Amino acid sequence: MDGLITYVVNIVSLGGTYALLALGLAVVFSVLRLINFAHGELMTLAGYTLLAGILLGVPFWAAVLAAVFVGGLAAVAMEATAFRSVRNANAATLLMTSFAVAMLLQVIFQNFISARGQAVPVPSLFTGSIPIANAQISVIQAISTVTSLVCLIALKAFFDRSKWGWAIRAAADDFETVRLMGFRASRLIAVAFLISGLLAGIAGILWVMQRGSVDPLMGLKPVLAAFVVVVIGGLGSLPGAVLGGYLLAAIEIALQTWLPDVLVPYRDALAFVLVIVVLSLFPNGLFGKRVTEKV
Amino acid sequence: MNSTKRNRMAGALVAVATGTLLLAACGSSGSTSAVSAAADDGAACTVKVGIASGQTGGLAYVDVPHLEGFQIWVDEVNANGGVDGKFLVETIVKDTRSDAAQSATVAAELLSEGISFLITPGDADPSIAAGQLAQEAGVPAMSWFGSAPVLPAAVGDFMFSNAFGDNAQARVLADYATEQGYKTAYTLGSPDSAYTSNLPRYFKKAFESNGGTVAGEGTFSMGQPNFNVIADEIKALNPQPDVIMTPAYEPDFPTFIKAIRGAGITAAVLGTDGIDSPTTLALGETAEGVVYTTAGILKNEGSMGEFFTKYNTKYGKDPETIYAITGYELGKILEAAVTQSQSCDPMALKDTITNLEGVQGITGTIGFKGGDRMAIREISLVQVKAGERTLVATVAPDPATVPAA
Repeated sequence: MDGLITYVVNIVSLGGTYALLALGLAVVFSVLRLINFAHGELMTLAGYTLLAGILLGVPFWAAVLAAVFVGGLAAVAMEATAFRSVRNANAATLLMTSFAVAMLLQVIFQNFISARGQAVPVPSLFTGSIPIANAQISVIQAISTVTSLVCLIALKAFFDRSKWGWAIRAAADDFETVRLMGFRASRLIAVAFLISGLLAGIAGILWVMQRGSVDPLMGLKPVLAAFVVVVIGGLGSLPGAVLGGYLLAAIEIALQTWLPDVLVPYRDALAFVLVIVVLSLFPNGLFGKRVTEKV
Repeated sequence: MNSTKRNRMAGALVAVATGTLLLAACGSSGSTSAVSAAADDGAACTVKVGIASGQTGGLAYVDVPHLEGFQIWVDEVNANGGVDGKFLVETIVKDTRSDAAQSATVAAELLSEGISFLITPGDADPSIAAGQLAQEAGVPAMSWFGSAPVLPAAVGDFMFSNAFGDNAQARVLADYATEQGYKTAYTLGSPDSAYTSNLPRYFKKAFESNGGTVAGEGTFSMGQPNFNVIADEIKALNPQPDVIMTPAYEPDFPTFIKAIRGAGITAAVLGTDGIDSPTTLALGETAEGVVYTTAGILKNEGSMGEFFTKYNTKYGKDPETIYAITGYELGKILEAAVTQSQSCDPMALKDTITNLEGVQGITGTIGFKGGDRMAIREISLVQVKAGERTLVATVAPDPATVPAA
């Protein structure tokens, strides 16, 4: 029973972070058909902002807010400077642009901050553990779980109830029609990037709090995981991104927990084999739609 | 003509691969910084040093400070007319982007420029890739600080490392654990690199030879999101281990120690030279008491204080890790080899380095004779106390008791 509680908490806390990251990718994909590989660098930027806030003596909650805000603003700036001019180019051009932005930001972090990771001294309040039944759950895991669930509920409300939420969901199916309904493409894309950046900021803070440090390449692994999540969930599907996040976390945690020692070195490979199994059963992802389009 | 979204995404995935290759190609040009060669009068020859260094990417935290320290040495000797007053040093630096394949490409470019000596990244895998080309070309190569003892053997007699062997640091850690009265240990390694996979193995051998027991052996993937499952696994051990040994370094080490302390595990933690950085010190209460092996303790006093002044003059800041010092010491090794051989000939340099003894560095004396081309250095045991490095002991492990590579 205790094992089950920690197992579930491990999945929910990691899956929640994956879901936030994947949603950030999926929102932008909905409007631009772009997998933004520079999304991870938005997380890193949020991490550095959090660190700067703490070092400057700003209250922790204010540093967190600033980090999320910077993530959102940086995403909007990224769209305006890097992606707007190539918006109508083909998918390969957009992808190349996102790689270029990611590498540029990594080099900037390395040269202007440090090639080395920087410890992020989060308040000691967040380093303890909470007893649940007979199991111990770390405070950071509890925060990750609650934060990701609250964000997902808030996002659902946004997508279900607000005009811009509807527009982004509709754009995932047919961007041109959404424009004909009176939504300006530039504004819709900027809103999508803003949401994506805010989500990257939140995920970045959760990531940094778990890891205890921020380094220039921090965003690389999570963005690859989020990319896999988006593919599992179905490209362009927002519920798919959430479900995919929890599914990938469940696969990873199950393999970490139960894989025999002799197979442990193959853990990542096995996780991807399971992902391939899911994709062979659902070639367009769990929630993806097979859409034909004119070329 | 119609195409499905699936086809479109397949195209996009191909673009991902193509992009990676293209960007790799774009990044290969590297930077060339030839030290301004002063007048050649009286200089027997110029020592041309090719440096394949991970200036960006995952190894930058090791390679960047090494290069900084090495360049201080270059400036110093050239200001005095070169090594032994006559052998000027010229450097050609190229970025390997911390990638093994790129390290080989960069090494091939450097070797084609007729270098006398090649410096390779501070890790075994890219050093093996670069070193194999140096071996073929008959040019001695030395890793910044690749500490896997399998490195020289994997390449051949032209490959050296400026670092002590991981088997030697594992012996020092195991002896320390035994002295502290620890009976049972848990080790955590990763198959992702020679460093992270072999160190727990060497530690186990040494600890068991001292009569200790390794009660559990965990595995992690470098860069994994969290260590909660591993913390649960350690927590489930009965009895709890007295000590946990891991070669995990940034960013994994901070994540790991936060996870185990968060889970209420209080066992002592032993680490290796990869965690000798301000990041570990800045972890606060979480890292209190952690003991690790390193090349020396970074303190602004004595001969190290002189280095601090030089470093500060050149870079406008204090060195952050001992790697800046060991980078400078690699220069001192080269200086000794050139002075003794009175030559820039790669073969003569290789023969001299193989038999070097008693080179005076900042952290102590360094030699290669009888060390299987791994540097024979003293190893410092350091403990984190109130966010500061505190010296526990300086040890020169007996080669006879060091586990075989």
